[in-house]
Amino acid sequence: MLEDRISIFKASFQEHTELRAQVNTRRQVTLLNGNLVNNLRSDESGVSARVYKGGVYGFASGAEYTDERIKAVLAAAEENAKFMDMRIKKNKPRLPLVGTGKKELLHDVKDVEQKVYINYAKELDAYISERYPNLASRTIAVRADSMEKLLVVSDGFDSHSLMPRSFVYIFLSAEANDGTTVELFKPIGGFGYFNEIFTNPDALYEDIDKLYTKLMKKAEGVYCEAGYKDVVMHPNLAGILAHEAVGHTVEADLVLGGSVAAHNLGKQVASELVTMVDFAHTALGETVHLPVYVDDEGTPAEDAVLIKDGILTGYMNNRETAQHFEMKPQGNARAYLFSDEPLIRMRNTAILPGKDKLEDMIASIEDGYYLTETNNGQADTTGEFMFGISMGYEIKNGKLGRAIRDTTISGVAFEMLKTVDMLSDDMVWSCSGMCGKKQPMPVGMGGPAVKCKVNIGGR
Amino acid sequence: MKANKEIAAYTLDALKKAGADHAQCIVSSGKVDEFNVDGGEFSLLRTLFNSSITMKALKDGKKGVISANKLDKESIDNAVKQCISAAESSVSDEAESIAPKIKNDNFVSGALSPDRDKFFDRLQEYVADVKNDYPKIILEQLVSKYVHSEIIFMNTNRAEFTYTYGNYDLSSMFSAHEGEKSSSFNGYYAKFDSLDKKLIDIGMQRTLFAESEQQIDTKPCAGKFVGKVIITPACLADILLISFGNFISDSTIIDGTSPWKSMLGKQVASDKLSVYTKPLDEQVVCGERFTGEGFMSENMEIIKDGVLKSFMLSNYGSRKTGFPRALNSSRNLFVQPGDTSLNDLVKSVDRGILLNRFSGGHPSTNGDFSGVAKNSFFIENGQITNALSETMISGNLVDMFKNITGISCETISDGVTVLPYILVDGITISGR
Repeated sequence: MLEDRISIFKASFQEHTELRAQVNTRRQVTLLNGNLVNNLRSDESGVSARVYKGGVYGFASGAEYTDERIKAVLAAAEENAKFMDMRIKKNKPRLPLVGTGKKELLHDVKDVEQKVYINYAKELDAYISERYPNLASRTIAVRADSMEKLLVVSDGFDSHSLMPRSFVYIFLSAEANDGTTVELFKPIGGFGYFNEIFTNPDALYEDIDKLYTKLMKKAEGVYCEAGYKDVVMHPNLAGILAHEAVGHTVEADLVLGGSVAAHNLGKQVASELVTMVDFAHTALGETVHLPVYVDDEGTPAEDAVLIKDGILTGYMNNRETAQHFEMKPQGNARAYLFSDEPLIRMRNTAILPGKDKLEDMIASIEDGYYLTETNNGQADTTGEFMFGISMGYEIKNGKLGRAIRDTTISGVAFEMLKTVDMLSDDMVWSCSGMCGKKQPMPVGMGGPAVKCKVNIGGR
Repeated sequence: MKANKEIAAYTLDALKKAGADHAQCIVSSGKVDEFNVDGGEFSLLRTLFNSSITMKALKDGKKGVISANKLDKESIDNAVKQCISAAESSVSDEAESIAPKIKNDNFVSGALSPDRDKFFDRLQEYVADVKNDYPKIILEQLVSKYVHSEIIFMNTNRAEFTYTYGNYDLSSMFSAHEGEKSSSFNGYYAKFDSLDKKLIDIGMQRTLFAESEQQIDTKPCAGKFVGKVIITPACLADILLISFGNFISDSTIIDGTSPWKSMLGKQVASDKLSVYTKPLDEQVVCGERFTGEGFMSENMEIIKDGVLKSFMLSNYGSRKTGFPRALNSSRNLFVQPGDTSLNDLVKSVDRGILLNRFSGGHPSTNGDFSGVAKNSFFIENGQITNALSETMISGNLVDMFKNITGISCETISDGVTVLPYILVDGITISGR
């Protein structure tokens, strides 16, 4: 656990200052057809300081965590802030106040021996190779990461936080009906250290069997017919819809860069069925997957309601953009490594569930697709988005048909969301994703099944 | 560098004493000064004092790898213990090895003495040039930095390389705006080691800024058809890297799922296509001098006149499969230019698109791909007409290599790659 060597420097802060000590750990084990091709432990730690002066920031970081080095990092950040202030002369006022307080650590810091990951992966690999010998390839990838942060700020909340995640990714591939190869993967896991989530490999066998069954259907699958189609997105896709299609466009730094949300605040951007929230730590009465209580600028975290009943109601801010837009900062400024500055990031972004049943949603489509798994997504500041679809089915006359091959869907968020006419009454969360925006960042996302119209790629 | 060398030597000795049969170690230290622009305004100066160590131990044919950023004795002693423990828990694999000592060397490259004031002046000039010359463009984000790094590679076979380098780079994200209308964002990355010329004149930035200004008004492509696509240099690097990742890299050659697994020495592409990786080329800024596995880097042919000449295998992948290892592990892609001008390539397209950016799902191992054509233009009867929105393209990468029908004589260099425009046929293009 990080020792507090930074609080004693608080009295020396001259300008708005954030001083952060941080440890990031990564543990990786990959078995490719039984070969251990990756067996890595990575620890990155150090201290950083960021100083705000007149509308610009100076930042510095170093790996050594000693009094002498902390002083040097603070001095370098102050010097950088002075350099920028002198050369740029924005003359902006001080940042808004967010109250003061302290948030203590809520979870014990642990480490898990490498052999625990390796042995778990080996058992899963043995199960798959024995039970499914006809596969073209199998990969078990164990990934565990954690971020422990100790933060003191000149004005705001100090905090000590921890975010451990652990996942097992199972990749299977098989020969398809046309002689080519098809693949499918499933991430399993969530918040916590590996041995808190994964105790017995047997518990994953059912997931593996289901994945294999789906892969066999995909191997017999057909190419989608390209065009503008009615679709039902499984809840697995609603989170990425919330994150990619809308979330990025309402990050206030991208709004300042001219995103589509700049001109739509207070306007109808989605069907009245759609409400979307970036949850801080608690959603619908339960702790979310990746809770954030205080962000890396010392702002206490609270939910950011982005779309309410189809109306665009807010942005996600840091303290500087909140001042610009005259909004309340809600704790969205997050940094990935000790050597990274906080950026506006999503936390746990979700579309709230509706009242419909999945069966009724599928039954309402004459000719379309039911899309169940995604493998990536990207968004544009115009709101145009795309997701890769790795599993799905045709819908013909209200009934599920053949499985489909890999495809891509796209749309323009604020047009597509207006076509949403049904939302299921259940919800799925996931937090295996790593959002990319200058820095990577673990994010949570969730939502119900969504019926809407999108462009689908195909032949 | 002396300190890094002492740390590397100490680490190898400690790994051997702790039970490693073979070991390697890479130690680096350096400094980064990074300027950031957000929404067209300077926002941040960031200084990083960097250090890192990556150690690999082999014990009884079993591998452990530790990566860390603390270089004090206590931290290294702890990392050594973890590395041996990770190796002991591992799976024995005869393909695991460390590089032999062939010829040790010391390398120096780039701008070793940064000029922070001149660098900042150039960046201020760049921001002003964008505003003046392309008034509709907003620099959503610009991250530009100077990196100085000293790296040493050592292993227990006494292979040893050092590399001291310094370079600048810039990474931009921008879009064009007019009232409430805007283009899609686009981005550009370039590396450079001199501040002698205006930063806006590096690579194809002026072309991309001008094109973004033309992409404020867009139309979806009408209907669905199979047509031709001109892939720009900015987009070509991504498509080649995705393709080679799927077809000739460790994972799909080792597990045998690559559609090119038996194509070494055979025709995989149009005979117009020759592709290389050239980290030692003078147009590459501070290119790789040795691989992470401890082999001195050499330029390499990947495809020559359409024939697959080499997989991009690591030494491990090579020993696992019996095919030769890649001569470098860089991404410094070069495509041999053709003899047709870009203008003539455009004239040869009856119906198709100029593809500047591809936003799609990760292509399947079999090469099937689909995604959105971003920052792209419709071409009809040999003329570039309107900018596109909501237009998807799909096809198969294996087929795409065979269907290259033209390569431009113009190439673009960004300090990392040197690439032309290429024309491919047989791509499905669909709009709303």
